Amino acid sequence: MRFLRSALLSCLALLATVLAKSSSGDKVLVLLDPSLDKANYSIFFNGLEKRGYDLTFRAPKDASPAVAAYDVPNYAHVILFTPDTKCTSPTNPHPSHARLTRTVAYASDITPQSLVGLLSENTNLLITLSPKQTPLTSLATEFSLIPPPPGTPLVSHHPKREEPATLVPVDVAPSPMLAKGTAPVWFSGAPHALGNSPYLVPILRAPATSFAADSTDDSDAAVIVDAADKAGEGLWAGSQLGLVTGFQTFKNSRVIFAGSVDLFSDAYARKPLPDGIPSGNAQFVRDVAAWVFQENMVLRIDRTAHHRVNETEPPEMYTINDQIVYTAYISAYNPRTSSWKPYDGLTDLQLEFTMLDPHVRTALPPVAGEPGKYEVQFRAPDRHGVFKFVIGWRRKGYSFLHTSTTVPVVPPRHDEYPRFLSAAWPYYAGAISTSVGFFVFSALWLAGDVKGERKNLKNTKSE
Amino acid sequence: MISPTSFCLSWLLIVVAHAHAASLSIQSPRFTITSSDASQLRADTLSLTQKPEPLTLGPSDVLKLTFQITETGEGNGVQPHQTFLRFYDTVSGEEGIQPVRVTPGGKAKFELNMARPPLSLPPTTDRPLAVSLILGSFIHDPATFDLFDLSVPSSATPAPHPDKASFHPQPPIVHTFHPEQKVPPKVISAFFAALVFAPWAVLLGLWSQVGVRVPHLLSPRILPFTALLGAFEALLVWYWVDLRLGQVLLYAGILALPTIFAGKTALATTGEWRAGKQ
Repeated sequence: MRFLRSALLSCLALLATVLAKSSSGDKVLVLLDPSLDKANYSIFFNGLEKRGYDLTFRAPKDASPAVAAYDVPNYAHVILFTPDTKCTSPTNPHPSHARLTRTVAYASDITPQSLVGLLSENTNLLITLSPKQTPLTSLATEFSLIPPPPGTPLVSHHPKREEPATLVPVDVAPSPMLAKGTAPVWFSGAPHALGNSPYLVPILRAPATSFAADSTDDSDAAVIVDAADKAGEGLWAGSQLGLVTGFQTFKNSRVIFAGSVDLFSDAYARKPLPDGIPSGNAQFVRDVAAWVFQENMVLRIDRTAHHRVNETEPPEMYTINDQIVYTAYISAYNPRTSSWKPYDGLTDLQLEFTMLDPHVRTALPPVAGEPGKYEVQFRAPDRHGVFKFVIGWRRKGYSFLHTSTTVPVVPPRHDEYPRFLSAAWPYYAGAISTSVGFFVFSALWLAGDVKGERKNLKNTKSE
Repeated sequence: MISPTSFCLSWLLIVVAHAHAASLSIQSPRFTITSSDASQLRADTLSLTQKPEPLTLGPSDVLKLTFQITETGEGNGVQPHQTFLRFYDTVSGEEGIQPVRVTPGGKAKFELNMARPPLSLPPTTDRPLAVSLILGSFIHDPATFDLFDLSVPSSATPAPHPDKASFHPQPPIVHTFHPEQKVPPKVISAFFAALVFAPWAVLLGLWSQVGVRVPHLLSPRILPFTALLGAFEALLVWYWVDLRLGQVLLYAGILALPTIFAGKTALATTGEWRAGKQ
């Protein structure tokens, strides 16, 4: 009976892993601020559950279930729907502050440091921000996002519509991570300027006519100009602003900062756009979640191989000027079948052969007819030393590919140099002459006739 | 008493008036370009329907732009919430937004001094920037006007993030190999090789005159030694072509023992001949 039960359990576990849509796991922890109603985000959450995710809800101040135990994350993904949650739990409860901190606070396991720690353990984060200043806003600055001054939501008077200026329809720019032809989405929340970090993945940008301001009347126009004139801060305006921005870490974990939690709400998903067509919110947030949970645009290097041309096994060491064949096998994750499939869509893969600096950098093209196989042949440099085959492929939105294999490159051994140089013919001739001469002389001297000498010898003896 | 018709009419009038009041327009837009010594280089009024010839600013020129924002129809100046000039590079997508100060009477004046360009001006290249005016208000309808194209001196490119380069295909690197060793023509090598062999011709020529006789060559006491010497020579040739040092020492060691005995016998024999004992 016990055996049967354990067999059933393991079968169920296997089924769960098969159903998991994400390449990194299906357990999701949702931190939901008590002021938000779960039912208002049912389209988003139900969509996740339908795709095989296992959602666990928790208020930010609850101590359990913990995000991580003994520094090992308990969940593959964490959603922070806590745009207004102010500060971490009071370590030193002061009577005057206790009431403030008790109302909305995080448990001690949610700090900016612990969130960064989760990212380095390959846990993905979906973080929502708001115009309010919260610990998550300061975390965003660490990811090269520059939030506007507190309390300034995105405002746009364009296009003419019934809705307030802070509820903005935003066009969705085409991107490989989003479904083609996604309709504009409703957005109300905080924009952020983007720093120059190349690890940022802009997903949704603000309209060119929008800006961040806290005014509600035309007479505040001068305030905006004054804010722009202020040195240093300037004005948060225009299409360079981000509204939803991703960030991919070295460890290939992903984090998304969304300027609004309402973006995920049922109300915005159902609200038609000013021109009457349905909004793209539901599709957009589904695609955003698919990216941040590592369903889409996930690649990996399965294995690499290298050998001399016309051989199959890797040698212990290469000799300078050897013709080397290097092969990499790359797979992409397919969320439909939850499996890794050989992927030959990379046309800009490069291989470096480096000793401190790259000595050779060459394209690593896909092999026609063999999916997932990338191969190149090149001549080893005529410098000996410890070299590395390095692939370092980074493109915005895709998981980073990196591999490095160390091989020694040595000069030829004493007997690997060419033996018959035309320039050395006279020397060969001299050596052969001497050898043959010695042999001929020996043979002559040993076998030759010495009659004359013997006669002379006899003569001298007889004298 | 108001008749229903006149009520309808007046209501219609109010609606029309409201519709007129609800949109914004700009009056008498005008630009001047002056150089640093205050001489006027170019000045014109702007047409909102047709873009003028692209405006060009030198490194120290000043562009002045003046206009008035009015309600359409009424002509009253208004101060909208948003009066932004947008500088946009259509190719690179770089954009700069500069708010313009508007008086409550709707008069606006903007000055762009290239000697001290504002921070909002985007990084520029030799391409012109498309300049448009964005008006937005809580009361009136929003409006956008394409004003003109503006060529400004290209700015210094901002320092990119150090990791930025790795996000694009990098230029290929080809290793420069040492040049192949230069080899003299084979004819010359062959000539000198022949020169080295030339003494043999002389030797053989002289021998043919003298006449060499080797009566003991096949003698059983001489032949083994000669053959073993020949084997040593062959071993050295083999070493040159293929063998490693260890193999050569092994084979030479094996050959050495019989050679010592064969040599002793052979030399003793020749010694006896020479001593005339036989």
